[in-house]
Amino acid sequence: MNGIGQGSMAREAVSWAVALAWIAAVLFILMALVGAPFGDALAAFLQNAFGGRRFSYLMATLSRTALIAGMAVSVMLSFRAGLFNIGGEGQLVAGGLAAALAALLLPGPPLFVLTASILAAMLAGAGWALLAGVMQLYVGVPLLVGSLLLNYPIRYIASYVVAHPFRDVQSGMVQSHLVPQATWLSYFPGTRLDIGILFIVAVSLFAVVYSRATVHGYHARMNGLSPAFARTVGLPVSKLTLQTLAMSGAVAGLVGAIAVFGMHHRYIDGMLVQPLYAWTGIIAVLLVGMIPWAVPLSGLFFAAIQTGAAGMERSAGVPKEIALVMQAVIILFVASRVSGALVASSERKAGATDDA
Amino acid sequence: MRVALSGITVRFGALTAVDDASLVIEPGEIHAIVGENGAGKTTLMNVLFGLVAPEAGTISLDGKEMRWASPQEAIRHGLGMVHQHFMLQESMTVLENVVLCAEPVGRFGFVDFAAARRRLAVVADEHGIAMDLDRPVGRLSVGERQVVEVLKMLYREAEVLILDEPTSVLTPLEKDRLFATLRSFRSAEKAIVLITHKLDEVMELADRVSVMRAGRLVRSGPLSATSKEEIARGIIGGELPPARQRTARTPGEEVLIVRDLKVAGRGGTVGPLSLSVRAGEIVGIAGVSGNGQAELIQAITGLAPSLSGEIVLCGRPIGNLDVEDRRLIGMSYIPEDRQRMGLALGATVSENANAGRDDSASFTRGPFLDRAAMAGFARQLIERYRIRTGGPTALASTMSGGNKQKLVVGRELARDTPLVIAENPTWGVDIGAIDFIHGELMRMRDEGHAVLLVSTELDEVLALSDRILVMYSGAFAGEVAGAEADRERIGSMMTSRVVDALPEVA
Amino acid sequence: MLDLLFDASFAASVPRFVTPILLAALGGALCERAGVFNIALEGFLLVGAFAAVVGSYFSGSPYIGALAAMLAGVAMGLVFAEFNLRRGGDAIVVSIAINILAAGLTTYLLRAIFDAMGAFSDPAIAGFARISIPGLASLPLIGPFLDGQSPLFYLALLMVPALSFFFARHRLGLRIRAAGENPAALEAGGVGRRRVQLYALMGCGALCGLGGAQLSIANVNLFVESMSAGRGWIAVVAVLLTRGRPWPLFAIAVIFGAVDSMSFRVQGLGMPQQFTDMMPYLATLVVLVALSWWRHGRTANGGTL
Repeated sequence: MNGIGQGSMAREAVSWAVALAWIAAVLFILMALVGAPFGDALAAFLQNAFGGRRFSYLMATLSRTALIAGMAVSVMLSFRAGLFNIGGEGQLVAGGLAAALAALLLPGPPLFVLTASILAAMLAGAGWALLAGVMQLYVGVPLLVGSLLLNYPIRYIASYVVAHPFRDVQSGMVQSHLVPQATWLSYFPGTRLDIGILFIVAVSLFAVVYSRATVHGYHARMNGLSPAFARTVGLPVSKLTLQTLAMSGAVAGLVGAIAVFGMHHRYIDGMLVQPLYAWTGIIAVLLVGMIPWAVPLSGLFFAAIQTGAAGMERSAGVPKEIALVMQAVIILFVASRVSGALVASSERKAGATDDA
Repeated sequence: MRVALSGITVRFGALTAVDDASLVIEPGEIHAIVGENGAGKTTLMNVLFGLVAPEAGTISLDGKEMRWASPQEAIRHGLGMVHQHFMLQESMTVLENVVLCAEPVGRFGFVDFAAARRRLAVVADEHGIAMDLDRPVGRLSVGERQVVEVLKMLYREAEVLILDEPTSVLTPLEKDRLFATLRSFRSAEKAIVLITHKLDEVMELADRVSVMRAGRLVRSGPLSATSKEEIARGIIGGELPPARQRTARTPGEEVLIVRDLKVAGRGGTVGPLSLSVRAGEIVGIAGVSGNGQAELIQAITGLAPSLSGEIVLCGRPIGNLDVEDRRLIGMSYIPEDRQRMGLALGATVSENANAGRDDSASFTRGPFLDRAAMAGFARQLIERYRIRTGGPTALASTMSGGNKQKLVVGRELARDTPLVIAENPTWGVDIGAIDFIHGELMRMRDEGHAVLLVSTELDEVLALSDRILVMYSGAFAGEVAGAEADRERIGSMMTSRVVDALPEVA
Repeated sequence: MLDLLFDASFAASVPRFVTPILLAALGGALCERAGVFNIALEGFLLVGAFAAVVGSYFSGSPYIGALAAMLAGVAMGLVFAEFNLRRGGDAIVVSIAINILAAGLTTYLLRAIFDAMGAFSDPAIAGFARISIPGLASLPLIGPFLDGQSPLFYLALLMVPALSFFFARHRLGLRIRAAGENPAALEAGGVGRRRVQLYALMGCGALCGLGGAQLSIANVNLFVESMSAGRGWIAVVAVLLTRGRPWPLFAIAVIFGAVDSMSFRVQGLGMPQQFTDMMPYLATLVVLVALSWWRHGRTANGGTL
């Protein structure tokens, strides 16, 4: 018994080592292409991901973590329920836009404006996700396709809104006016890290409790593992789908609000799309196979890769897009280990394709 | 061609599927291999056909030892196999299916269909098979599809023909036709292997019989040297359980009433169908698979919408309700497909046992789950239904087929609803589990529940039902009382619409 | 206003938009029919567009550029095959990773090879000249659409009947269909499913590569970061809608291409760019919804559910 366990563990270790060697080889070749010194680049990477004067870079990593982990939790809620919602980006943009507009338009005391704006953002995110859900349930457009396609209209709507009616023309950039300063999320004392991350910590805790201990989470997971089973034993599948999507979208909307009030203090065209927060969130979930408590850590990991890569660019002249390549290669190597709800969902997607 | 298998052993993980099996298949003979589901018959033949690589043992053809790298090699050496689940492409025509993987190609790899057509005409003629080569297989009946499979083997000039449970989907008439073809092959000096679990067929057709049990070949010899009883004992390794005794019972009021129900199905509309099930009776629906049974059950359970008609459960019309509400009113459902519909294989036994329970208050506290109560309930089921599993936290996927099915049966029967729907409840499980499940269904009947049983195994329907409805081509071909059920009569109904005027079933 | 939209130059611009979508979708059809759920067409297109610029820049010939794009596409197909077919990764996960890989790799290499940020254009990039086929222009109605396009457009047009014939009559085409419909039967016949799917992926890569080449060295002579701009996704939708049948695919690609080209034209008439950019996606959604409704209507009347 013991021998078998050790043998398979050794095999596992070797296969991980081989994967790591492959990833290292890819990165080495890419760096060699730009003639960057490997050692310096690595040092710059680590320094910029976790170091800095008074850990300022670590703070940058953490504030990016907030957004990525938030998107990862949003995605996880859908994926665990077998809902292949890859429209997180659209829901994020809807939330960010709603938050900025609400803060610019609503009168009243700052705390009220902030609260109302965050709620508006969550509603907008939930609404955008529900749109994809309704299209799947009542029109027969597969969620995978519907949620993805909805990313584009909202992206352009947001772009139009901050380019024309709500543009801060004097700034010369395509961006909205600043939201009232009193609504900005405050920084942790002595740092440039805003308290938005606390919202994400709360959301992550909620997600863990929801997934493990609630009836709704249990039912959603049964639907994720086998949609046919969920239908057969009489779980309210349509309701589950819509509620889960709304929850997932609301979290994405919240992340958009945090980006507005904590990081940029306005809506800048492309600020939520270009950094690929939503896609990074998806791969953060895939990396750890949808284990709720591990998802935020996975988000931290990818945030570190991105800020580290930005540092490599500054210090060693390695284009920061190496981070994307790194993320993609990592996911390729762990892809075969992703199982469970996701596999079930891609089976269903095959079924949905038959319908569509 | 003479085939000899010697010392074949196959292991899947910890399970020994075939254990040191040796047998000889002679040309000009029909060799039946019998045994329960999971006894290793199919695995042994998959080894011969090159689909499974054995851990030990050898295959030899006419005394020459062979080692297959792929089924293609086995095919090249004259082996052919008709699998239990047909290996056909529904969207392709008969001709395309026949040539697939053995295509005669011309320039640039384009298929020479004309040459294939010519060659096929010759072999089909030889054995008296007629078939339109340009029809898509998706439009053929199950029996016709089997003919396509047989044509595939002939086209490849197979000398050894392996047929895995070929009659399980055939009507009696189609079965006779297939047997005639097989006899024609025998006189053409081909070797034929028939994998089956139906003893009557063995007695009718085989020259030689091999019996497998739990991966071992327990006996192999000429049919004339053995008897039906002896083979049966070999299959189960002891005496058969005694026939089930039926207690006389007057059925109560109607629990389920279906009136003029029409449902959309593959190939066309199913119905109009009318039936009723009363408290304390088992109504069996017999018929070859694919004659509308699945559509009927989906409409009753609410998994698919009906086009028209009425469904009444416990006095309430349920046609417009969803699955959840129908179950709450009083319906349990044991689905045919336990792997997808009956269970969530990636979830634990406890999670599976508690899904779909009506008394949610007993395992929840507000919005939260009471894991201890869930496990407690799972443990009750495990004990009550003698389910062999690692416990409530074991994954459902780790259980054997019979135990999975017992979990499904247990979960559904524990709900104690007025109506129980069982769809092929013993498909692919061992004899012990079959006996147990039959016993439970009988118990439900005796306790006054209404049971609707759909089964493609005529024996099962005959053994359990108080009344039998026969389904053919989307309609009921007739009704027979359980006590006076006659195999031949039901068999003829399974292949035709209403034979003689029967009272309206409702 | 309508005359402004539908004039000769509109006719000439439609094929420019149809070609990349059509080529990518035909590639996707190979995968769809082979049972490979490849939704990485966006990434395949992008890599093709980049490789075409590289090949053309260093050789001075657009044909070498197109060849480079094909090879790069095939390479992406091989990466997909390695991680999906051989290592058994989920197709959706592998697709998402490949799309991200393509975005990262092209931007990285743009800086590594050309030292350019965001976009790269150079006189040394040789683009495809438009070729005129005698007699084509004088065809009624469709003449203006067909004449004077890049060779890749004519190739794409030819590929529609070619692929259709390939699926119907070629040994590999037959096997690809079998791999998609009932792979167990293919295996039982002694043909490895994964080998067939590998060929499909390679063919898909080659076609998508050519589609990318149309974007970068036929429509324009430059490479811009993420210049595929969602066209790969539209191709994915087209493939799903038509279940990979070449002729319906052609029809869908023409609709999408026409909307794409129209949105480009309306922009010139003063509609905000954001709205015109949105049009192809809205059109895709509208087509999806319309088709789904139509199918639902049919199933309600007794078809298969």
